[in-house]
Amino acid sequence: MSAIQTEHEPQTLNLKRIKATDLATSGSLSDRLVRWGKKLLLSDYFILIVSIIAYVIAAQFFDRLARPLNMTNQLSNMWPLFAVAIGQTFVLIIAGIDLAQGATIALASVVGAMIMAENLNPDMFDKLPFWGSILTENGGLLAGSPIATPVAVIGMLVSGLLVGLIVGTLITRFNITPFIASLVGFIFFSYFALWLTQSRNISGLPESFVNLGDSGELISVYFGPKLDPEIRRRDILAVVTASTVITLGLAFFAGYLLNRTIFGKHMIAIGTNPRAAEISGVPTRRVITLVYMFSGLCAAVGAILYTARLEIGQPTLGGLNLLLDIIGSCVIGGSSLFGGKGSIKGTFFGVVFFVLLGNILDAAQMSPFVIDAVKGLFILIAALLDYTRTRLVRVEQST
Amino acid sequence: MRKLIGIVLALTLAFTSVAISTAQEGLTICFGFQDLETEFWVAGHRAITQTLRDQGVEVLEFNANEDPNRQLEQVRDCIAEGVDGIIIIPQDGDSAVTIVNEAQDADTPIAVFNRPPNDRERGIIVVADNEIITEQAVEFMAQKALRQYEITQEPITPLILVGALQDTNAIGRRDGFFNVIARYNERYPGMFKEPIEVATEWDAATALANLEAAITANPDVDFIFTSSDFLFPTIRSVLEPRGMWAPTGDPNHVIMGGLDGDATACMLIDQGYVDATGVQDLFLEAELTLSGILDAIEAGDYQPNAVLPDPGFALTAANIQYQRSDMWGCVLYDEGFLDN
Repeated sequence: MSAIQTEHEPQTLNLKRIKATDLATSGSLSDRLVRWGKKLLLSDYFILIVSIIAYVIAAQFFDRLARPLNMTNQLSNMWPLFAVAIGQTFVLIIAGIDLAQGATIALASVVGAMIMAENLNPDMFDKLPFWGSILTENGGLLAGSPIATPVAVIGMLVSGLLVGLIVGTLITRFNITPFIASLVGFIFFSYFALWLTQSRNISGLPESFVNLGDSGELISVYFGPKLDPEIRRRDILAVVTASTVITLGLAFFAGYLLNRTIFGKHMIAIGTNPRAAEISGVPTRRVITLVYMFSGLCAAVGAILYTARLEIGQPTLGGLNLLLDIIGSCVIGGSSLFGGKGSIKGTFFGVVFFVLLGNILDAAQMSPFVIDAVKGLFILIAALLDYTRTRLVRVEQST
Repeated sequence: MRKLIGIVLALTLAFTSVAISTAQEGLTICFGFQDLETEFWVAGHRAITQTLRDQGVEVLEFNANEDPNRQLEQVRDCIAEGVDGIIIIPQDGDSAVTIVNEAQDADTPIAVFNRPPNDRERGIIVVADNEIITEQAVEFMAQKALRQYEITQEPITPLILVGALQDTNAIGRRDGFFNVIARYNERYPGMFKEPIEVATEWDAATALANLEAAITANPDVDFIFTSSDFLFPTIRSVLEPRGMWAPTGDPNHVIMGGLDGDATACMLIDQGYVDATGVQDLFLEAELTLSGILDAIEAGDYQPNAVLPDPGFALTAANIQYQRSDMWGCVLYDEGFLDN
C-alpha cells in the first residue's frame, strides 16, 4: 500500500506540525478531548474513521451488518466503483469533471460483449446494425476462440481510451468546458451504445471473462465446523477475487503516477493554477488529454468488472445513479471540484463511505421512498465536515 | 470537539430512529424491485408487501432504482441475511438470469414477478404472455382502423411506443403489435403504412421527446399503441396541442391502445380517448408469486422452478361494460385511485 499511502497532500505536513504541538502541551481531560477531536477531524483518515464508527454503531442495531458474508459482499461492491472513481479523481485534480465515464462503461460493456459473446438468438438480434458481419448466430466476432476474452478486454480498454481522447481533445483543442465536453460525451456514447445493440443486452459471455469479476475467487475462507461432506456455497466467503487484484493493481499504478512521476506533479500544477502551469512550461494540453484518457481507461476497467459480475453486455450500464456515486465518492474522499486536490487513498475512503452507507441504510429497512433522500442527507453532513476540516487546515496553516 | 460529538450523536440518533422492528418469529422474505414509477408497479408492490405482512411475514424491501448491478448487490445482501425466500422485479430479462442463479446457488428460493428472465428454466417465474395480450388489444384497434380504411381508402399510419428492449416484456409487446400489422397488411394490402417506432426506454421524458419528434415529422399518424399504459399522459401532452387528442366519434380521434390495464387506461376508455388495452391480471400475478414462494419454503425446496402464466385479456371499448371488474386498473379507478 506504500504507493497509495504516501500521496501528495499539503495537509500531511500541517498534521505533523499539529501533532508536535499537541505533544508539547497537556491540559485537562476536556482540553485533551478537544485536541483529540481536532486531530481526528484533520486526519487524512477522517472519512474512513467516520465510516467505521457509523458501521460499528449501526451493527449494534442491525446484526446482519456484522455477518462475515455481508462484509465480503460489501468488499466486492467496492472494487468496481473504486476502479472508476480512480479515473474521476485524476480528472478532478486537474479541475475537470468527466461525466462521460457513465457512457464509457456502457460502451465498453457492449463492445466487449460484441467481441466475445457466444450464441445469439437471431429473433432477438437480427435487427442489430452489425448483424451478419460482427454478430451472427454463433455469437460475437471471436465467439468460441481462445483469444476472445483477451481481445474483448483489450477492445473494452481501447474504447475507454478513445472516449477519453475525444473528450480530452474537445476540451484542449476547442476550449469547450469540461462539463459540456464530457456531457456531450455522455449523451453521444450512451446513445451510441444503445444504437449498437438496439437497446438489447448481450448475454452468453464466456466463463473466462465472467471469472474476471466476483466469480474469480482467488482466496476463499470458511468459518465453522465441517459437519457435512460438502460445504454450502453461501457459507464460503470470497475474500480475494480477480476484481480485488485488478482494482488494487490499478490503484497502485494510479498512486505511482500521481505521487512519483512528473506527470502527477503536472496534474496538480494544472489543477492549482492552469495559467501558471502553462507559463511554467507544463504541457497542459497533453496532460489534460492524457488524464481524460486515463479516466476512460478506468471507466473501462469498471465496465469489465460490472459486466463480468452481471454476465451481460448492457447498453444502459453506468447510468446517472452510478455517476453520482462515482463523483460523490471522490468528493467525499477529499478531491476538490476546484482542482489541485485529491488522492487515491482519499477516494478509496470515499468509496468505503458510500458502500457502507448504502449497506447501513438498506439494513435499516427505511422506506424505499425516502432512502435516497436520507443518503443525500448523510452525504451533505460528510461534505460539511470536510468543508469544516479544510477551513481548520487553513487556519492552522495561517497560524 | 463539540462538532465531532454532535456528529456521532447525530449518526447514533439517525440509526436508532430508523431501527426496524426486530426479527419476528416466522418467515423473512426479501422483496427487491426496480422502481415504482408506474401505477402497475405501485399496485404490484402494494399487493405483494401487504399480503405478506398480513400473513405475519417480515418483508425486507430493496429498491434498486433501475440498476441491475445494485439489485444483484441487494440480493447478495439478502442471502447474507439468511432470508427464507426472495421475490424480485428485475430490470431486464438478462440480469434476472444472473440474479436467479445467484440465489439458487446459495440455496435461497427465488420468484420473479412479471418481468421474466430470458432463461425460464430456473426460479419461480410469474409472467403474462405479452405477445398474445398485445395482439388481442391491437386486433381490436385494427378492426376499427379497417372500418376507417374501407370508408376513406386512406392508408393508416401506425406508431408504436416501444419499451426498453432489454426487457422481454417490451419485446413481446413489440412483436405482438407487428404481428397484427403484418396480418392485416397481408389480408388488406396497403392498409397500414410502415409503422413508426418511438423508443421510450420505459422513461416518460425520453418518450415525450421522441414522440414529439415523430409526430412533428409524421402529422398524419392516426393509430398509436403504447407498450405501457403509463405513457398515456405523455401521449396526451403531445397530441392535445395539435388537436389530435379527441374521443372516439370525433373526426380527429386517433385510434389508441396500450398494455398494462391501469387505472388511467380504464378512465380513458370510459371517456372514449383510448380504444383498447391489454390487461395483465396484477392481482392474480401477485397471488401466484406469493403462493409459489411460500409453498416452496414450506416444502423445503431451495431451488423451486416453475413458470406460472397469467393469461391476461384485452379490455376494449366494446367489452368494458362486462369485463370492467376483471381489470385491476378499473377496480382501483372505481375505488378512487386517481382522485388524489
